[in-house]
Amino acid sequence: MSGGFEFKLSHFQAMLLFALVISIAFGFLSRRGPLDRAKYIVWSLFLFLLIGVGIGWAMYPFSR
Amino acid sequence: MADEIIARAGPHRDSGFQTRAFVVGVAGWILPGLGHALLKMWGRALAFFLTVGLLVLIGAGMRGNLFASSGNDAFDSLGYIADMGTGTFYFLARSLEKNGADVSHATGDYGTRFLATAGVLNLLAALHAYEVARGRKA
Repeated sequence: MSGGFEFKLSHFQAMLLFALVISIAFGFLSRRGPLDRAKYIVWSLFLFLLIGVGIGWAMYPFSR
Repeated sequence: MADEIIARAGPHRDSGFQTRAFVVGVAGWILPGLGHALLKMWGRALAFFLTVGLLVLIGAGMRGNLFASSGNDAFDSLGYIADMGTGTFYFLARSLEKNGADVSHATGDYGTRFLATAGVLNLLAALHAYEVARGRKA
């Protein structure tokens, strides 16, 4: 913190927060029942993280 | 006979629907979740208010770039449109970023994406509310 409202997040924390918030929003946007929404949110979050980490690993050989 | 009645009643009814739907859509854009709240869809209203608000808070906290209307190129203009998608939250983010944007680090760059995503997500939610008000979506 320095002065105003600011903070630092690691790459993984930022990805996790982004995936969680977007999954919740998409769940509420595209499904109606609470159970359907919960299933969609969990599945969407899982895929976000899997694909994010997968792309990270796939890019590793080209990182330097 | 029935067709005549529909033809006479149709445009009047459609006009009212269109106006109401437009008001709902614009309200949803100005304040995230308000469009759904006007339609008494409380769960969605709260969800969009909180998710768009959270994305804006995180983006501003990470010192993401908030694009201004006086952009230099097409990407700046697109960024401005995306950021303005958050409606009044755009000005909230601007007031929170007292030290301005800092995209020299990855954190600031991520913040820029959070802010743009918040705007696009809110536009999507406002469009959804508009479509519901028109009776096209449940």
